[in-house]
Amino acid sequence: MARKDLLDIASLHREEIEFLLDQSTSFKKLFTHSVKKIPALEGKSVLMLFYEASTRTHSSFEVAAKRLSAEVTNFDVAHSSITKGESVRETIETLQAMRTDYIVVRHSHPGLPGMIARQTTASVINAGDGAHEHPTQALLDAFTIREKFPDPRGIKVLIIGDILHSRVARSTSTLLQKLGVEVAYLGPGSLVPKYVPESIRRFTDYEAAMAWAPDVVYLLRVQLERQDVQFFPSVREYHRVYGITNTRLAEIRDRGLYIMHPGPVNRGVELCDAVMDYERCLITNQVENGISIRMAVLDWLTPGGEFPKQESYVARQRTGSALLIP
Amino acid sequence: MLLLQNARIASENSPVLLESDVLIVEGKIQDIGSKLPIPEGARVIDARGRVLLPGMFDAHVHFRAPGFENKETITTGSEAAINGGITGVVMMPNTRPALDSATTVATVLENAKDRSRIPVYTSGCVTKNREGKELAEIEGMRGLGVKMLTDDGDTTNDPAVLLRAMQYATEFGMFFASHCEVPELAGPRALNEGVMSYRLGIKGSPACAEEIIIDRDIRLARAAGAHVHIQHVSSKLGMETIRWWKSRGDVKVTAEVAPHHLLFTDEHIGDYDTNYKMNPPLRTQADCDALLEGLIAGVFDLIATDHAPHTPFEKAQDFISAPNGITGLDTALVSLHHFFVAPGKFGWDLVVKRYSAEPRRLMSLPVPSIAVGQSADCVLFDTEAETTFTREFMKSKSQNTPFIDQTLKGRVDLVILGTEILLEREEL
Ligand SMILES: [Zn+2]
Repeated sequence: MARKDLLDIASLHREEIEFLLDQSTSFKKLFTHSVKKIPALEGKSVLMLFYEASTRTHSSFEVAAKRLSAEVTNFDVAHSSITKGESVRETIETLQAMRTDYIVVRHSHPGLPGMIARQTTASVINAGDGAHEHPTQALLDAFTIREKFPDPRGIKVLIIGDILHSRVARSTSTLLQKLGVEVAYLGPGSLVPKYVPESIRRFTDYEAAMAWAPDVVYLLRVQLERQDVQFFPSVREYHRVYGITNTRLAEIRDRGLYIMHPGPVNRGVELCDAVMDYERCLITNQVENGISIRMAVLDWLTPGGEFPKQESYVARQRTGSALLIP
Repeated sequence: MLLLQNARIASENSPVLLESDVLIVEGKIQDIGSKLPIPEGARVIDARGRVLLPGMFDAHVHFRAPGFENKETITTGSEAAINGGITGVVMMPNTRPALDSATTVATVLENAKDRSRIPVYTSGCVTKNREGKELAEIEGMRGLGVKMLTDDGDTTNDPAVLLRAMQYATEFGMFFASHCEVPELAGPRALNEGVMSYRLGIKGSPACAEEIIIDRDIRLARAAGAHVHIQHVSSKLGMETIRWWKSRGDVKVTAEVAPHHLLFTDEHIGDYDTNYKMNPPLRTQADCDALLEGLIAGVFDLIATDHAPHTPFEKAQDFISAPNGITGLDTALVSLHHFFVAPGKFGWDLVVKRYSAEPRRLMSLPVPSIAVGQSADCVLFDTEAETTFTREFMKSKSQNTPFIDQTLKGRVDLVILGTEILLEREEL
């Protein structure tokens, strides 16, 4: 089944996920055998449309696209202060006229990549839309976990931190659950809402979460810049209550737990410096795996397909009968 | 002279539809009875099977003029009303300039006289430019017939300002209509805080942001001896708060509910469909159920659409950037029939009471009914026919509604006001 866009994890089927993870394995192997470029996307253009700064994701996509022999263009949005929906629509019209094959987009507004996808023939990849989704991050996280747990069914992943504002938490937990992984959230009550999906355990106490016996501890970046209101009293208190302190690291080491983080890390907030030297810390593995996952995604999508329709509840209910019943 | 034969007459006092002939002469209902003789020169319409209702009245519409005529004008807005069987409206004052003085109100009313075929009333702002700081010149607006004061679109956030306005204006026989929302809690996004806002990654507006102000403004009205009207209630606890205050009986409070809050939930937003972005936001099925219960029990005095047009260009943005609002005039009566009257959830008597009679009582206007001696203000509604809400069908300048291209059961066939037939579907 061919797909034009990758907008979210929620709509991915399990088989598609398995396929992407397997493809990523092949790409990773290829590049450890000194091949630096394959012609998969020769003659194709990839446009990077980053309305939010992100060195890590941006360069990861760029390297992935170049290794597939695609031509990469950066659309200069950093210098336009106007990032509202109206101006984005004008940009989309320009992009459609340019007939680019792939658009990698990051924006602070949830749903905006989907809006672009509905108005262009290009394959759109969501590289993070507000607090909504970050599908390639989820795929690289799953890939990294699968390297340590070839059959991840039944393992437990504890995600700690700002769940409320985190697209990583949403995408990664959705994906891990699709692979049979058990997921729990831990964080301050102001950042772990009561209405998170029922399938996810919710902890507000570190000791209780540890008693749940996780296999992986996944720390989220505290988005200090995104806090328009105060969600916790101080960074020091956050580190003490929810961070991986030196004492907690010792316990984690004893238990042999893996530690992950989507980066960039706030040292001294989410984790103490010593975590970076811990042998089961997978943060650099995640960065490395980002490239092969993004290659797999670019290689998999098929540009030029039909524009996807916006799915509203009403549209989904419209089955045969002309009458609409809510 | 117009003779409607075998119409089923609806009234606010009885769920039973009385089948009868109705004779209208010179804009007045002259006779009602079975097998009325056909006077010479009278036009005869076979109304068999159709329901005859008094014209609806919408006490909460945005006609966007002056200032936003690209969205709606008094002409297109009032034609949308007629298209939906509505024969009178109250405009909200969040125009540009805002309707906060006798001058701006006079201009709008003057324009409405030339540009609308139905009476258009307007509310006035509580504060200058709706900024919540200085009182608007309220008495000057009263002189032009303004009864309702509101900063709709926003809550008058400072309770001291609102209390003073209430104390001052109540002496003039005016009342206050409240858009209820604590801005600090609600944030800028019109989406209910809950499972759906989490899934979509949008900062939600919790129902308590609305409920706090409902309670606050009723308390203020009680303290000031004022009448407060709570606009477009969207939450279960909001409804229960109003019910409790009404049961005490020591404050004059009325309230309205909009069809979209009865019909849709936050889940309908699905894939960021901006047609479902409105303020207050769509909440949950439990809220819809409670609002319907409140409407049937009379906690809500009236139905009002909060008709809020926006251009397709504005609504075609992403969910965060798109403005709040849904149009409602073209679709209100048909949707009430389709979803509630036809399935037997409530009767035509409720529609007449809540969407024709009570909103006019709120505005101290005469209440039309289908009775001998009344001036003709009526709508003939076909319950068997269907309406497809195509873009061509809609008379509103904007069509930001989830009903677009939907087919619902029921059709407004004829709208009569005085000596004029305002609308006649060609099928008649
Ligand atoms: Zn309002």
